[in-house]
Amino acid sequence: MAQQNTIAGGPLNVVGKRGPNIDAVERVTGRAKYTGDIDIPGMLVARVLRSPRPHARIAAIDTSKAEAVTGVRAVMTYKDAPKVMIWGSRQYALNDRVRFKGEAVAILAAVDAETADRALKLITVEYEPLPFVLDPEEALKPGAPQLFPDGNLEGQPRMLNRGDVEQGLKESDKVIERFYHCPTMWSGGMEPRACVAQWDGDHLTLWASTQAPFRVHGSLTAMFNVPDANVRVISSYVGGGFGTKSAPHTDEALAAMLARKARLPVKLQYTREEEILDSNTRFETKIYVRLGVKKDMTLHALDVKAYINQGAYHTRLGGLGNQSTHVYKSPHVRTVQYRVHTNIPNTGPTRGVGDPQETFAIESVMDEIAIEMGWDPMEFRLKNIKRNGDPIARGAVGTEDGRLVAQALDKCIEAGASRMQWNRRNAVAGSPTGTKARGIGIACTERGGGAGLAGASVRVNLDGSVHVLFASTDIGQGSRTTLSMIASEVLGIPLSLFRTTAGDTEMAPYDGGSYGNRTLQGTGRAVEAAARACLQQILAAASPTLNNAAPADLEIRDSIIRVKADPARQVKVADVMQRRGRSVTGDGATAALQTGVDVERTSGAHFVEVEVDKETGKVHIIKYISAHDVGRPINVTIVENQIEGGTIQGLALTQGEEMRFDERTGACLTGSFVDLKPPTALDFDPRVIEAIIVPNEGTTGPFGGKGLGENPCHPGMAAVANAIYNATGVRLREVPFTRAKILRALSEPRRT
Amino acid sequence: MKLSVSIQVNGRTYDREIEPRLLLVHFLRDSIALTGTKIGCDTSQCGACTVLLDDVAVKACTCLAAQADGCSVTTIEGLAPDGRLNALQEAFWTKHGLQCGFCTPGMIFAAQALLRVNGNPSPEQIRHALEGNLCRCTGYQNIVRSVQAAAAAGVR
Repeated sequence: MAQQNTIAGGPLNVVGKRGPNIDAVERVTGRAKYTGDIDIPGMLVARVLRSPRPHARIAAIDTSKAEAVTGVRAVMTYKDAPKVMIWGSRQYALNDRVRFKGEAVAILAAVDAETADRALKLITVEYEPLPFVLDPEEALKPGAPQLFPDGNLEGQPRMLNRGDVEQGLKESDKVIERFYHCPTMWSGGMEPRACVAQWDGDHLTLWASTQAPFRVHGSLTAMFNVPDANVRVISSYVGGGFGTKSAPHTDEALAAMLARKARLPVKLQYTREEEILDSNTRFETKIYVRLGVKKDMTLHALDVKAYINQGAYHTRLGGLGNQSTHVYKSPHVRTVQYRVHTNIPNTGPTRGVGDPQETFAIESVMDEIAIEMGWDPMEFRLKNIKRNGDPIARGAVGTEDGRLVAQALDKCIEAGASRMQWNRRNAVAGSPTGTKARGIGIACTERGGGAGLAGASVRVNLDGSVHVLFASTDIGQGSRTTLSMIASEVLGIPLSLFRTTAGDTEMAPYDGGSYGNRTLQGTGRAVEAAARACLQQILAAASPTLNNAAPADLEIRDSIIRVKADPARQVKVADVMQRRGRSVTGDGATAALQTGVDVERTSGAHFVEVEVDKETGKVHIIKYISAHDVGRPINVTIVENQIEGGTIQGLALTQGEEMRFDERTGACLTGSFVDLKPPTALDFDPRVIEAIIVPNEGTTGPFGGKGLGENPCHPGMAAVANAIYNATGVRLREVPFTRAKILRALSEPRRT
Repeated sequence: MKLSVSIQVNGRTYDREIEPRLLLVHFLRDSIALTGTKIGCDTSQCGACTVLLDDVAVKACTCLAAQADGCSVTTIEGLAPDGRLNALQEAFWTKHGLQCGFCTPGMIFAAQALLRVNGNPSPEQIRHALEGNLCRCTGYQNIVRSVQAAAAAGVR
């Protein structure tokens, strides 16, 4: 792990070090203001009336009694809501038709919560029920209840073809066909959704708990038909997002609509139940796989057909990743994805988007065929993984028109296997005879990062302190710290002199937001460019006091500008700035990350040892190794904890967090933490999880860094399934791996 | 019907007329604007609202404000009154015991309550004591390390 911490041009002083978050003090003292903490004089409390039916037309709605309640300031229904859809969806903030149980039907704002609660009960709604469908495959069958005039399929099936998969399967020496199922799963953070809306004439300020302020901004400017300059979205401190807050949502529109009607500020804060029932949660995937291999241990054909349960409305977000095409070499690959609308709440991208689900399918089927062929599952992977220089597609296309660079999956596998002592695994799956059986599993994964437009500003003040401004958010991943470290490295000004403004669309340039491994490689590159622009101005300003030395001959260390060849000649940054009399600002903006043929991805390999209690079905994690390529880690402490936290979130999907829906009523049966069972401190012994950062350096990110946040959540389901198989000889193809499922599987007659 | 209560919070006494049904967490956040105490659920499972009530850790959503009448409450704002972090806050900061920070105030008080009765807890004891407090970001490793560090620094 000893990586020389230098780049061309000299050693690194800030990047690559350990250190806590620079904003942690605000968070441990309660000073950090999350959206729900905001209070504005005269602010009203909003409440949402939600549909008790999964699919219905509103035949009649009467709000007169609610409006008559003293203290109620505004009530709204579809009748007075803007007829503009929420960004990335087919959803109106309020409509005369509901498509999931829990969808907003009416909203009101009152002077306090008690009044709002009381008034909400006085709204009467007459529903005309419609037939509903919850399953994505059922929803595509003829005669299925239709959600939209153009049917339940969102757009065209996403298809990707390389070679001829049918021919490839025919040519294969062995073909297996399997089905893997991940149900709808909860993936939220600790802070329920919240927003505060305030209008000043035609100008809207909206505080929101979002990962992507500019996406929300775009949704609202379209909804209210106002110029970009008239909307300010602020998302300063966010209590976790994990993707559920990466898309605009109805709550932001509802709060803004109400505030405009009431002419007073409005706060809309979801309860936990509302957060679970009306959020963007992890989508269900039903994946059918056919895999063909040759006797020489090469993968020959891979056919993937996936049904993705988008829930009621989302259109743009969600789908599988590139596990089928980017991890392994295969001459023949075909993937088909059907994104299907059903009468469950909106689902969307959550940590890893569709990659954890796809990784579950691909890494399970890889294991299954290796075992059937009598191959070591790890050797089989090493034989087939893409390595540096291998062809790889540059986009979501079949043609491999690019070339893989800065890849380290082989190193991740080797480091993880060595640490796990892979050879300890059972040579014959299920061979342990006692009540408690141990086994070891592996799963690999990959992902890109840094997509879309990003921007940032850096300002060096007259006293030499620095302000970094960006409109992506720090949702806990530590971007205030990491982005400041990048600027600190560039400027030679210590981190202690840095302040940040995060998630403010009026203070910072356009940036897509914090999601999809993109903050470091997107916003981070913008910050680096902005800081370099500041550096040039500072050095130019310093030049006259240093005998007109060329800026290229100057450097800054610890806020002191020196002539490189003659370090005794120096001047303080603060003195130069004072003399200059104007602060220095730099803007950075980045677009497409990769424009040439080189393709850089971020990979990882997980190894897990489990102990299965055959009498109780309990799976105990004995040891878990998460080996990841992150390029050069900007902050080792942050990266390690991203790996640890992401690993636990991946493991959580193996034990609970399933959102179940009642076939008869469409109701979500798991609307609380009691039902969802997110991991507590007792569920996984932290000491068994070990993060390995594999030495590597990226080619596109700042200082060779790569985005990481999503990846550690990908492999858990597959790695655990593979380990359970190694321990017991039973194969689980549906998460979560509940005790009941394991006991049932153990009691079934074993195939040989 | 309103109730008169007198509740000491972080050393300062607040005399208020309240609705009898008002929860302590809403008293803290809405009546006296101490928003450092968070609300993460509505079923008493997440622990984000944990505070000290007469030196005992309670989930402020399970307690009526009326029950705190005449009692002393410590919230996260009360731990560093002079701006100097107490050792638990310091440990959560330096040991990277948080990411988004939403669970942190509650975690700190759950840890404080443990250290009051057990100044040198094992990792298992720490994990048991924190079982009622959910964290989605960290995976709990660094939280356990933070509590260990605070114990080593002599927090009781």
